[in-house]
Amino acid sequence: MTDGSVDNNFVGIQNYQKVWENEVFRLGLRNSLELSLICAPLIFVLSFVLALMLRSLGRASLPFRNILLMPYLVPTAALLIVWMLIFDYGGPINRILALFGVDRVLWLESEYLRVPVVLLYVWKNVGFSIVIFSAALESVPDELYEFARLEGASAYKMATKITLPLILPTAFLVFVLAWVNAFKIFKEVYFIGGAYPNESVYTLQHFMNNKFSKLDYQDVTTAAYSFAVIVLVLFGVLYAQKGVRGHD
Amino acid sequence: MTELSKARYRPGSSRFLRFLSYLLLIITSVLILLPIVITFLYSFFPVKEMTGYLKLRNNYSNEQWMDILLSPSIVSLRQYYSLMIEKPIYLKLFVNSAIYTVSVIIGQALIIPALAYSLSCFRFRGRDTLFFGVLMLMLLPFQVTMAPSVLIMRTLGLMDTIWAIILPMLVSPFYVFLVRQYMVTIPRDMLEAGLMDGAGTVRTFFHIVLPISKPILGAACALSFADTWNLVEQPLIYLSNSRDLMPLSVMFNALSTEEAGVAFAGAALYILPALLLYTYFQEDILLGIQLSDMK
Repeated sequence: MTDGSVDNNFVGIQNYQKVWENEVFRLGLRNSLELSLICAPLIFVLSFVLALMLRSLGRASLPFRNILLMPYLVPTAALLIVWMLIFDYGGPINRILALFGVDRVLWLESEYLRVPVVLLYVWKNVGFSIVIFSAALESVPDELYEFARLEGASAYKMATKITLPLILPTAFLVFVLAWVNAFKIFKEVYFIGGAYPNESVYTLQHFMNNKFSKLDYQDVTTAAYSFAVIVLVLFGVLYAQKGVRGHD
Repeated sequence: MTELSKARYRPGSSRFLRFLSYLLLIITSVLILLPIVITFLYSFFPVKEMTGYLKLRNNYSNEQWMDILLSPSIVSLRQYYSLMIEKPIYLKLFVNSAIYTVSVIIGQALIIPALAYSLSCFRFRGRDTLFFGVLMLMLLPFQVTMAPSVLIMRTLGLMDTIWAIILPMLVSPFYVFLVRQYMVTIPRDMLEAGLMDGAGTVRTFFHIVLPISKPILGAACALSFADTWNLVEQPLIYLSNSRDLMPLSVMFNALSTEEAGVAFAGAALYILPALLLYTYFQEDILLGIQLSDMK
């Protein structure tokens, strides 16, 4: 809350006004929000469905579990080159599109850059959510399903009326983690787009990194506090409904 | 994985649904494995063939496609040879990555279990507030705490040294959270039984809490490895003036444009330790999370 001069004058909320009026800051904020709102539901739904499938396979699901979690450990930095290849203008994805008679897309240089970024993010992170979901599904007592079956409930009914309510706390945790982590998305964008990527994926984190390399500390800390407050509010509201469990 | 082995009724175990699950899971698995397989496959192509192939990228004429290469004209280890013998810079960066990862994991192993123990098995004033603080830190991105950390590092004179990377990572809040959620599930009676038999807090920790927590500690190790091996944000800031301290993960971008011919071998070499570690720890990860209080 001071200006950048030698005397460090107190300027009140002026810095906040300056940052919040900054076009680039707004762009970054909007992109971070939008990207997280694309990634989080995608991961949430995918991991829930996959976890249900894994459970229905019982013991045979173990190899699939292992494969699905694998990307979480693989460094995305090393996959960059494959990703660039797959999404090249003459690459396989555009070939598949052409098979269906769709025009080729400039994945890496246009606003469609979001697609490879989101896919890379989902590819890496879906496994972890699946593991948490699976753990919760295993703890649902089987008698409930037997009852339901005797009553003639369909698989869909069982999923929505028994499974979902019982694992709600987990679902909540998975969603919060997925959302907040997706809000932090930066690595994937940086790998594919560099420090100044296409406008459609320029995140808040880019804004802060770039301001930082220009030694503009006022803007960085101001943006940081704004960011912290946003996360605090998002999370605080959700957290208040759950509370922490511990040894008491 | 004893729970999985019990034969019992599962939802959706009608024939058709099972078949559908199988099919979709196989498709998903193939999609997930594909990039990794391609990386390894292409790393055995001769350097010249690969360089030529990658030059076809960024060609915007609408008549031209990139071929889809499935097998090399000749299986060659030239890419690996070139990386390891002819270009010491690559090996240097790889070693940097290894140094960061090993020191971070060892440091975390010394600090984090004890932190988690204190946050889960004791009652003291302010514990829940402290834990809330840990949660908040876990949720904030690196960039938020970046400016203050840089100021601290600068005061300590650690900027552009390896300590600037290692020290802040030693207390990563996510792993405190992970291990704590597991330790919370240890029955209180067990700790009290230890106390009855005359074991102090320290002995309880080493002889009861740590052995029980083995799965989650393995899981934390593996996940932390993945984190540090894929380090990007921190080196960009802390090491901005000393490029030869950078880990390999940051330099891949530059590497794959300059030396396209060997990029795949570089990537394959970088993935390999992660895969090996994963096969070693995968059961711990599954079991650790299953038993912890994440649900």
